[in-house]
Amino acid sequence: MHINILKEVKSDYMGRTGLTILLSLLALALLAPLLTHYRPEDYTGLIFQPPSARHWLGTNDVGQDVWTQLLYGARNSLLTGGGAAVLAVLFSLLTGGSAALLGGMYDRVLMRLVDAMLVIPPVIVVILTAAYLKPNLLLLIVIISVFLWPAGARMVRAQTLALKESMHVMAARSFGGGRTYVLKRHLAPEMGPVLTAIIIQFARRSVFMEAGVSFLGISDPSLVSWGKMMQDALQFTYLDVWKWWLLPPGFALSLTIIGFTFTGTALETVMNPRLRKEVHHAGD
Amino acid sequence: MLEIKELNVSYNGTQVLKNVNLKLEKGQFLSIIGESGAGKTTLGLSIMGLVEGSCSGAMLFNGRDLLSMCEDERRRLRGSKLAMVFQNVENTLHPLYTIREQIMEAVLVHGADDKRKALAKVSEILALVKIDGDRAARYPHQLSGGERQRALIAMALVNDPEVLILDEPTASLDAFTKNEIIQLLNEIAGDKVTLLITHDLAVAAQLSNQMAVLYGGRIIETGPSEKLLANPRHPYTRGLLRSYPGMDTTKDLQGIPGKMAHNVTGCPFHPRCTQRINICAQEAPELVDNGRGMIACHRGGIIPLLEVKKLSKTFGYYKAVDDVQLTLYEGETLALVGESGSGKTTLAKTVLGLLRADAGAIFYELEKVSAGDAKFRRQVQMIFQNPRESISHRMNVFQAVKEPLDIHRLGSEEEKLALVREALEDVELPSDDNFLNKYPHHLSGGENQRVSIARALVMKPRVLVADEPTSALDASVQAKIIKLLLNLQERKGLAILLITHDLALARKASDRIAVMLAGRIVEEGPTGRVLAVPRHTFTKSLLQNSRVGQLCPG
Amino acid sequence: MKGPTTVINYLIALVLILSLNFILPRLMPGDPLQAIYGDEAIIAMTPELKAELVARFALDQSTGRQFWAYISSLLRGDLGYSYFYNAPVLAVIFGSLPWTVLLVGLAIIISTLIGVVLGIESGYRRGRPLDRALLGVLMFASGFPDFFAGILLLLFFGVVLGLAPLAGATTPYAGCGGLTFLTDLFKHLALPLTSLAMVRIASPFLLTRNAMVISLGEPFILTARAKGCPDKVIRYRHAGKNSLLPVVTATGMQLPHMVSGALFIEIVFSYPGMGSLLYNALLTRDYPLLQGILLVLTITVLSVNLLVDIVYTRLDPRIAYAY
Repeated sequence: MHINILKEVKSDYMGRTGLTILLSLLALALLAPLLTHYRPEDYTGLIFQPPSARHWLGTNDVGQDVWTQLLYGARNSLLTGGGAAVLAVLFSLLTGGSAALLGGMYDRVLMRLVDAMLVIPPVIVVILTAAYLKPNLLLLIVIISVFLWPAGARMVRAQTLALKESMHVMAARSFGGGRTYVLKRHLAPEMGPVLTAIIIQFARRSVFMEAGVSFLGISDPSLVSWGKMMQDALQFTYLDVWKWWLLPPGFALSLTIIGFTFTGTALETVMNPRLRKEVHHAGD
Repeated sequence: MLEIKELNVSYNGTQVLKNVNLKLEKGQFLSIIGESGAGKTTLGLSIMGLVEGSCSGAMLFNGRDLLSMCEDERRRLRGSKLAMVFQNVENTLHPLYTIREQIMEAVLVHGADDKRKALAKVSEILALVKIDGDRAARYPHQLSGGERQRALIAMALVNDPEVLILDEPTASLDAFTKNEIIQLLNEIAGDKVTLLITHDLAVAAQLSNQMAVLYGGRIIETGPSEKLLANPRHPYTRGLLRSYPGMDTTKDLQGIPGKMAHNVTGCPFHPRCTQRINICAQEAPELVDNGRGMIACHRGGIIPLLEVKKLSKTFGYYKAVDDVQLTLYEGETLALVGESGSGKTTLAKTVLGLLRADAGAIFYELEKVSAGDAKFRRQVQMIFQNPRESISHRMNVFQAVKEPLDIHRLGSEEEKLALVREALEDVELPSDDNFLNKYPHHLSGGENQRVSIARALVMKPRVLVADEPTSALDASVQAKIIKLLLNLQERKGLAILLITHDLALARKASDRIAVMLAGRIVEEGPTGRVLAVPRHTFTKSLLQNSRVGQLCPG
Repeated sequence: MKGPTTVINYLIALVLILSLNFILPRLMPGDPLQAIYGDEAIIAMTPELKAELVARFALDQSTGRQFWAYISSLLRGDLGYSYFYNAPVLAVIFGSLPWTVLLVGLAIIISTLIGVVLGIESGYRRGRPLDRALLGVLMFASGFPDFFAGILLLLFFGVVLGLAPLAGATTPYAGCGGLTFLTDLFKHLALPLTSLAMVRIASPFLLTRNAMVISLGEPFILTARAKGCPDKVIRYRHAGKNSLLPVVTATGMQLPHMVSGALFIEIVFSYPGMGSLLYNALLTRDYPLLQGILLVLTITVLSVNLLVDIVYTRLDPRIAYAY
C-alpha cells in the first residue's frame, strides 16, 4: 500500500491542527530575537509588573520580562524535544535495526535488555539522574534519550523483521539485490513513517520530561525553561501574577504537547490500515 | 416459505444485487454459485437483515415481508428462525469465549428463561454435530478447523431455524474434513429451507438439489443441480465449469476473458460474452423458463451454431456418412473420433459443402444453409491436416493468409494487410514485412500450421473445422497448436469441430465427444462421461485400445 | 513472550535500577561519602559517624565489595538515614507512600473505567459527532501536563472560587470523627485526583476506541449479529470484551506515567505523598532519601506491572493455554 503520509495527515483535522500548532511554535522560537527587545536573563528593574505595552506579559519576581522568557523557553523546549527525540530514535534504529538484521544471540540479549528497560518508569529515573548530574541542556538531552530509546527499539525491530520477511524484499533478493540495495531501496523508505511516528512520540515525552525536570528545579538554573517559570511562579499564587506569569508557560507547554499528540495520533491512524476509513463490502 | 421478490441491494452507489427473484419451499436445498464479488454473500446477509447497504423489493418469510419489519423484529428472527453459518475464517468465533458459551448465548438471546432447558438444548445440538462436551469447553483457537466449522453449524442450528444459510461452509478445509462437514450438512438439512453459498461446484453438486448462478448481482441461470452441471446453458455457467478443476473433468482448464464489473448496463455478462449481440449491451435479459430451469440470456443460452440433421453421403453403394445428427454449440469443442475410414473426413467435407450431401441438411445459426451461402462460407473455416499441402508453395505468408479475403473480395489492400497482420498476431506469429514475405518452405511445420490457422482466422469465423490439425506435427509443436486453438476458443468463443483418431488428444481438448463407426454416430456425450463410462461397445474397445500405451504404468 | 521470561525481565530491570542507584553517586567527583550524603549532611557529621558509614558501605574497599555492601543493606531493609527528617529513610517513605497509593490507585480506577466506557461508545459510533467530540476533547485534555492541569484546577477552584483547600491531605487538628474525616479527606483529594484522572483518561479511551473499531470489523461480530444478539450485547459482550485486552496491558504501562504524574501533582497541591517528599528531598539535597524514594517507587511500579502481566494471561485464553 502506498500512501502519501504527509497528505493524509494533513487531510485529517487533528493532524492539521497538530501540524499548525507545531509550526507556529517553531516560528515563534526561531524568531524570538525579533519579537522582543529583551534578553531572557535581563533584569528590567521592575518586579511583578502587570502586562503593559513594554512588558506584554509583565515581569517576574526579579524583574525579567515574561514574554521574552516565554519565547526563549520555546527554544529550549523544542530543542530538548527535538534533540532528545532524534538522538533516541538513532539509538532505537541502531539497536532495533541491528537486532533484527543480525538476529541470534545478539538479538536475544539486546531485546532482553530492552524489555527490562521498558518496565522502568523513565521520568523517575531521569529525575534521579538529573538530581545528581544537574545537567545543562546538552546533558539533559542525552539523559532523556538514554531512557527513551528502548520503546523505539522494539518498534524498529518489529518493523524491520516484518519488512525483512515481506514479499517485496524476498522478491528483490531473488533478483539478486544485495544487503545495501535492500536496505536502501526497500527497508529505508518503508521505515520512514514508523520512524516519524516514533520521533513524534519521543518528542512529546522529552518536552514533557524537560518541563518536569526544570519544574522540580534540578536542571541547570541558568536555563530559561517553561517548567522553571512555572515552578517560580507557583510560589506566588497568593498574588495576581499567576495570570500572566504562571498561565502562559503552562499553556505554551500544553499546546506543544497537544501539537505533538495530535500529529502523532493522526499519523497513527493513517498508518494503521484497520483504522483507516474504508468502504467495507460484505464478505464476498 | 421464503420468497424473494425483485430484491435490489446497493452499497454507496454500486448495485450489488439486481432484481433477484427466488422462491424456496420447505426441504429445498439451493446453492448459489458464482465468483467473488458476484453478490452471493450479500444475498445471504440481506436475508438475515445484516446487509450494510440499502435494500428494496420484498422478502416474504411465511407470508410476512422481512424488509418492512423493524430492526428489533428482525433481530428476533435472526438466529431463531433464520440462521446463517459463516465461513470459518480467523475469528469467526469469538476468541475469548468457549464454544459452549457461544452456542449457549445463541439460545439465551432468544429469551430462554429456563437455564437448564437451554443447557440441555446445547448438549443436544453438540451431540448432533458430533462435538463432545469436553471439546465444547474449549476456546476456538484450541480446536481444529473442522471442529470450529461444526461449532458454527451448531450455533446456527441450536434454535432449530426454518431457513439455514451456509456461506462457504467448507472453504479452507482439507478434503477429509470437508467430506465430514458435507455429510453433516446433508443430515441436518432435513425439511429446512437451505441456501448454500459457494464457489465450489463440487460441494454444490453434492449438497444441493437446485442451483442458481449469480453473476454481477443477477441470477443468470437456475436449474436442477445435476442438469445444470452436466449441461450448462448460460455461457457464464459453462465458463465457470471450465475453470473449475474437477476430478472428473478432462478438458484443459479454460478461463473467461475479462473480469467482472459492476454497474454494467444491459446483461451483466455481455462485456465478457463471446456470443453477444447488440441488444445484450442495452437491456438486461429477463430470467425465463427454458423447460428445465430458468435462464437470463437474450440468445436463450449458448446457441447451437452448427446443426447437422440426418446427413447422408454415399459413394456408390458405400455409405460413408449415414444419417448423422450433430450439434456444435458456440464456444465448444466437439471431438469427432473414430477409426480411419469411419467417415469423419467425409462428414467434415460434406458439412463444409466440399462434397454434396445425398440427404439431410445443415443449419447455421438456426437457418438452413443453401449452396453457396456466403455468410456460412465466411464464418465456417477449415484447418487441414497437412499445412505443407494446404498452403500453396507459390504463395508467401501474406498471399496465403490473404487468399480468403481475395476470394470473398473483402476490403481494400490496406485493410487486408491490417487484417492479415491481426490474424498473424492472433496465432502468435510475427507480423512484420520480413515474415509476410516468407514462403512455406522457409517455415517449420508448426509455423506453417499457424499460418493456416491464421488464414482461417482472417475471415473472423465462428466455427473451425479442424481435421487432424496436428497429426503431421511433432509432439511439442502439437501441444502448442492445441493450446493456441483453446486460447482462441476462450478469447473469441470459437466453436471447434475437432476431427481426430487420437482419443487422448480429444480428452484434453474437447467438451463433448461423438464417436463415429462406419458412417454413423454411435455415442455422443460430455467428454468426461464418455471416457469414464462408455456406453457403446465400440467406444469401450476404442478406449481399451487407446489405453494400451500408458505413460504412467503401474 | 509471557510467563517465566516476564519475571526475568523484571529481575533484569531491578538489577539495572540498583546499579544506576549505586553508580550515580560514585560518578560524582570527590569523596564518595560526600556524594552519597550530600554537602550539607557531610558538614554536620561527626568523624565517628563518618567512619561508621564508611565501614557500613565499605567505601574504603573495592567497587565490588561496595556493591555487595549496598545490596546487603538493601536486603536488610536499610535504605539509609535521612538527615533532614532525622529518621531512617524507609520509615520516612512509609509515612508518605499510602497517600500516593491512594491517589494513584483511585486515579487509575477512575480514568480506566471512564476511558473504557467512553472508548467503547466512541468506537461504536466512529466518525459520528459524539465520537469526534470525545476524541477532540480527550486528546486535548491529555495534552496538558499533569502538573499544569493540577495548577489550573488549583487556581480555579482553590484561588479564584476558594472552594477547595489549597494544600495537604487533611485539615490539621480537625479531629478524627469517622464521617467528617472522610469528607475532609475527600475534599483534599478531589482536585489532585481529578487533575490526574482527567489527563489520563485519554490513553485508555483511545486504546479502547481503536480496539473497538478493529473488533467491530472482526467476523465474530457478524456471527453475533446473525445469532440475533441485541446491539448492547454486541457492543459490550462481544466487541467490548475483545477491546479490553489491550487496555489491561496498557493500564500496566500507564502506571509509571501515572506515578510520575502523581509526583508532580502532589507537589502542586502540597499533598503529603511521595511527590512532596521527593520535592523536599530535592530542595534539601537529602540524597539518601531521594534514592530511597525512587527505588521504592520503581520497585512498586515493577511489581504492579508484573501483576498486570499475570492477570493478562488469565484474561486471554489464547495466551494462557500457550503454556
